[in-house]
Amino acid sequence: MFDKDLLVVNNLTKRFDERSLALDNISFTVKEGEFLSVLGPSGCGKTTIMRILIGLTEPTSGKIYMDGVDITDFDSSNRNMGIVFQNYALFENMTVLENVEYALKIRKDRRASARVDALEMIKRMELTEHAQKRPGELSGGQQQRVAIARTLVLNPKIILFDEPMSALDVATRLQLRKELKKIQKEYGTTMIYVTHDQEEAFSLSDRIMVMSEAHIVQMDTPHNIILHPENQYIKDFVIENLKIKIDSLAVYIEDLNHEEE
Amino acid sequence: MKKSKKETSLILSQVIIAVILFVFILMPFIRMVIGIKKEDIDAIVHSPMFGTAVTNSLKTCITTTIISVLLAMALAFAVQRTGIKGKAFLTVFVTLPMLIPSISVGTSMIVLFGTNGVITNLLHLNNTIYGFWGIVIGAVLYSYPVAFIMFNDVLKYEDASPYEAAQVLGIPKFRRFLAITLPYLKKPLIGAVFSVFSMTVTDYGVPLMIGGKTTTLAVMMYQEVIGQLKFKEGSVIGLFLLIPAFVAFIYNAITSSQPKLAFVSKEYEVKKNRIRDGVSYLLVIAVSLFILILLAAFVMYGFVVRYPRDMTPTLDNVRFFVKIKGLMHLKTSMIISLIVAVIGIAVTFVTAYLTARSGYKSAQFLHLMSMTSLAIPGIVLGLAYVLVFKGTFFYGTLAIIIVVDLMHFFASPYLMMYNSLGKMNQNLEAVGFTLGISRLRMIKDVIIPQIRSTFLEVFSYFFVNSMMTISAVSFLFTYKTKPISLMIGQFEAQMNLECAAIVSLVILVVNLLMKFVIYLIKKQVNRKSISAVNYGS
Ligand SMILES: Nc1ncnc2c1ncn2[C@@H]1O[C@H](COP(=O)(O)OP(=O)(O)OP(=O)(O)O)[C@@H](O)[C@H]1O
Ligand SMILES: [Mg+2]
Repeated sequence: MFDKDLLVVNNLTKRFDERSLALDNISFTVKEGEFLSVLGPSGCGKTTIMRILIGLTEPTSGKIYMDGVDITDFDSSNRNMGIVFQNYALFENMTVLENVEYALKIRKDRRASARVDALEMIKRMELTEHAQKRPGELSGGQQQRVAIARTLVLNPKIILFDEPMSALDVATRLQLRKELKKIQKEYGTTMIYVTHDQEEAFSLSDRIMVMSEAHIVQMDTPHNIILHPENQYIKDFVIENLKIKIDSLAVYIEDLNHEEE
Repeated sequence: MKKSKKETSLILSQVIIAVILFVFILMPFIRMVIGIKKEDIDAIVHSPMFGTAVTNSLKTCITTTIISVLLAMALAFAVQRTGIKGKAFLTVFVTLPMLIPSISVGTSMIVLFGTNGVITNLLHLNNTIYGFWGIVIGAVLYSYPVAFIMFNDVLKYEDASPYEAAQVLGIPKFRRFLAITLPYLKKPLIGAVFSVFSMTVTDYGVPLMIGGKTTTLAVMMYQEVIGQLKFKEGSVIGLFLLIPAFVAFIYNAITSSQPKLAFVSKEYEVKKNRIRDGVSYLLVIAVSLFILILLAAFVMYGFVVRYPRDMTPTLDNVRFFVKIKGLMHLKTSMIISLIVAVIGIAVTFVTAYLTARSGYKSAQFLHLMSMTSLAIPGIVLGLAYVLVFKGTFFYGTLAIIIVVDLMHFFASPYLMMYNSLGKMNQNLEAVGFTLGISRLRMIKDVIIPQIRSTFLEVFSYFFVNSMMTISAVSFLFTYKTKPISLMIGQFEAQMNLECAAIVSLVILVVNLLMKFVIYLIKKQVNRKSISAVNYGS
């Protein structure tokens, strides 16, 4: 299904200070159209990878190729990628429409159709009735949709998400997960999704990259990770945690079954 | 396309700001300190006047600080933690003394408590308060509003949830105060004590007017420099005056860290309590009444023939004020204040942007430099300017007055900008880059529109303070560049209280008008953003 390599990362290393490495010689490949989750505990380097991929942080060493082109030194805006931050970073002084339209108006090739394109995107994200509101008046889920609309309207090849859901309630998260999958189907956008929620990673992803302390521990499909955990760390951090969640839910499901009898 | 070069404009502006702060704050100051010789120190320290002046300064300032801080705290509680009415108005009213020069407050002391003072006559007092108590009351009057604003802000934004938790747990009120309020107020309390102390110890306006024979260090320095042009002696005294402000600076540098992130906190709910409200009313009304009498006394001195013997209304004093070119000095002051305010906005914004949002570690050095103006009292900075710039083309120009005001008042508005900018989402520029929006564009379209009200506050701060300052400028003006506030000192020498009252009123009115205009613009700005929000929904 995903057979074309879109993004190739080779020997990426990042050192912020003398004492420790934030990323230690990491290599991986992302296929075109896939949904890749990056799973790992706090401080393992997830955000650092995202920032390097999109060009906000410079790697200490290593290369990034997109479609075979070395983009390691490219400007953030020329990488054909978008990013959605955890706290969205919307432009508070602008309306939803202006937020989505702003970047279009700056690009010569998009300027003429900026308003039309922005409205179209807002409609697709089901934000039409909020188009004239400011971010401060929206719910967390709506704000996130604005943040997605803002980057999606530029037709990026890859969208990066840095723990975009941790600030939302469970119901909204479930809803947004569905929407992410829908968007992905519609636009064929490749998505790289940072989370430290095992359940989220397993339910959303085509593949999962499990990280620990600046390294990749295992990168595979959810299925394979469960069947063939690479080592004890994967068993403990990923599978055990997942089991606990399932077990705690199973109690209720048993109750449900009893009731039905 | 290749990644653009490092952001040279950011680096360039860092260098420019660093140079400005160095040349106009650090360099003059260092030059002054280096010029001081051991013999000079010995000569001053062993002079008979010096010991007395130190004692006088310490006594008056310690007393003032205690009274002023307690009064300010009580007022802030009355405004923020009770059910009294008219809080917005009261807040403005009790801070009125902040809008006139300290030397006007000194004038008011004579006008109220002098031999022919309004209160002296009203209450048939026999002895006047020239000396210790005159200085203390005057100093309290101009310093408590500063402390009040500090406490008021802190109490206004205090999170009420710990109180509610404590209440639910059944912890008695008094213990809640000890366990929650006091620790919370510790930092602002220390800050207020430092501010009030260093403010009063370096002020010469009040003690010059009402001190009588009680000479303080600041008055001694003023007289050495202005009266006898003894710059060396002045520098030595300046060194001593610097100590409290310097300690305050160190304290600030240690404790003020990152700007606090805005988070929604639970607002404090005021419970009903008649007695507490009654006491608060008494306090607030007493303070307001005092200020009202003070204003009335200025009007009475300024607009009657000869208080209290001949109470016929007259405009003679106004005419005299005009005759001695009062309007020219007013115009000079307003031009200076406007220019300081406009340039002040630009410089504080650029500096705060660099320190709060550029991400450069080197910008932290700028942050420290920006705060140094807190450590250097106005008169010391003024004297340092004399020592460095005397004989250059710069000396005696309007520009030197503008620059000295700008630098003297730099720290507070810089911090306002720093806090507003630091609170804004730190990923804004990053998102901008990924969307292809340049930093400059982001600043223009996203950053600045969100801190317009801070711009207005900074403008107001620079303007009002430049209108009323008598410290740094007092050694630097010429006849042509003399600000209106310095006319009062000259009237003091001639014992012309009537005209001093007129000038004080003029400054008060101008500052009040400016505050009012800013208030209207602010309302307009806020309404605009609200109506834009409601449009179409
Ligand atoms: N700008 C920086 N300067 C210095 N060290 C940094 C910087 N950014 C990140 N680090 C360090 O690099 C390591 C990885 O940080 P990173 O933010 O990538 O972690 P993360 O996996 O995103 O964690 P979390 O789940 O908490 O968001 C951490 O040890 C962190 O302290
Ligand atoms: Mg992170």
